[in-house]
Amino acid sequence: MQSEKKRDTMLQTEDNRSTNQVKKETSNVYKVDKLNLWYGKDQALKDITLDIPEKTVTAIIGPSGCGKSTFIKTLNRLTEMVPIVKTSGEVYYRDNNIFNKKFSVEKLRTKVGMVFQKPNPFPKSIYENVVYGPRIHGIKDKKVLDEIVERSLKDAALWDEVKDRLKENAFGLSGGQQQRLCIARCLAIEPDVLLMDEPTSALDPISTLKIEELVQELKKKYSIIIVTHNMQQAGRISDRTAFFLNGEVVEYDDTSNIFSSPQDQRTEDYVSGRFG
Amino acid sequence: MNVRSTYEQELASLQDEVFNLGKEVIQTFERAMELLDKGKGHLLQDIIDYDKVINKKELEIHDKATLMIAKQQPVATDLRTTIVALKISSDLERVGDLSIDIIKASRRMTAFQPEHKIEEMREMASIAVSMLDRALSAYKHKDLMTAQQIAVLDDKVDAKYKMFVRGLFAMSIEQNEIENIAQLAFIGRYIERIADYATNLAEWIVYEQNGQHFDLN
Ligand SMILES: Nc1ncnc2c1ncn2[C@@H]1O[C@H](COP(=O)(O)OP(=O)(O)OP(=O)(O)O)[C@@H](O)[C@H]1O
Ligand SMILES: [Mg+2]
Repeated sequence: MQSEKKRDTMLQTEDNRSTNQVKKETSNVYKVDKLNLWYGKDQALKDITLDIPEKTVTAIIGPSGCGKSTFIKTLNRLTEMVPIVKTSGEVYYRDNNIFNKKFSVEKLRTKVGMVFQKPNPFPKSIYENVVYGPRIHGIKDKKVLDEIVERSLKDAALWDEVKDRLKENAFGLSGGQQQRLCIARCLAIEPDVLLMDEPTSALDPISTLKIEELVQELKKKYSIIIVTHNMQQAGRISDRTAFFLNGEVVEYDDTSNIFSSPQDQRTEDYVSGRFG
Repeated sequence: MNVRSTYEQELASLQDEVFNLGKEVIQTFERAMELLDKGKGHLLQDIIDYDKVINKKELEIHDKATLMIAKQQPVATDLRTTIVALKISSDLERVGDLSIDIIKASRRMTAFQPEHKIEEMREMASIAVSMLDRALSAYKHKDLMTAQQIAVLDDKVDAKYKMFVRGLFAMSIEQNEIENIAQLAFIGRYIERIADYATNLAEWIVYEQNGQHFDLN
């Protein structure tokens, strides 16, 4: 009779897979609870509820304008710089409500670094770019700063390429190198989370693969949330994937599930290249 | 506008090729059984030769699917459909090989033709053919109900095979025909394997549709 039963269930898709809540054993860097966000009258995020586990790569995918950038910018409170923005709901970073008046934005941003689509180094030397954050935090000791530069550039897989020209202007680097420099700049202040908004969309394929390799290395130490338009990239580098559509999370699951057997037809259509 | 219509056409034609391969394999199996019936295994050289064509077709499906994966990087259902075409064609190719094994075993048999044993094999084979037919139809029409029925038929073949082997044991004690009885046992075993492959096909069809693996065996 055992086998009869097995066959009965065969016709239904088992719906016991993980939902938006990540399993208990892993700790979460972020817990997002019913987050809504409006630009004036236009709602850009609708009831977003999801947990983001630590030391994993979480990919945010979805068609243009679905709210990906808005979402990750909210995670380090960059959206509130837009005057017309209103939010409701809760975002917890390591159990601290980031919208709480008592919670310091500065502290949040030292813990949560951000890398943008276009590399944006400062018009300074490679060295000065990296030590910019630590200097702001009052580190003056040359030896300490040197160590930070070496460690950060090594972690960003850029050290070997630039160690002999640290005093040169950062604009002399290639696009891919500039992007890794921006990552090194984030790492210099020893963050906990790295937010990346389409970090490779302005890069050539080899630089893109270097960043992807780097992300795999970085996730051993950091939690990474990456927005990408490149489906193969999401598949290659992320552990979890959230599919956004019109400001909502349609599906959030292990990346392998999202790309092999998504539960929602809209996810299926999007990841298999039928719209977007 | 459907932005992937070229790919969808390629997928559909891949599935057609798998389906046609299946039809040819079933014919091979049926002819193998038919000639065993009449004790004319030696006449089957053309089928044995045709098996090379079947193998070649299976490789063509393999190459085509591989190229599609490389060029289109399918995911989700597209990917499963492509992988399942690969899996099903390779299972079908194995059914073709087993049919050839049946012919070869029947050639090794001498005049010894115990009618009731042949009849039992004929029954097993006809269920196995029906399983293959249904599997192909379920594959074509993405029909999970039919896929499910195949498992029930496989249980029947297994039961019949058990009886068949038991009967052969009894015979081997009574008669001095060890060599022929061994060949009969082989053939029964090949048919039973073919039914297993038909069940595999059903499992792949389920996987293609909902991404889950079920052991129907
Ligand atoms: N500063 C702003 N003021 C008003 N509306 C905005 C602002 N920024 C974004 N929006 C709107 O919010 C919605 C979500 O935009 P967002 O930039 O988050 O999308 P996205 O998913 O990152 O898109 P893309 O893939 O094109 O980068 C869009 O409709 C956009 O027009
Ligand atoms: Mg964006």
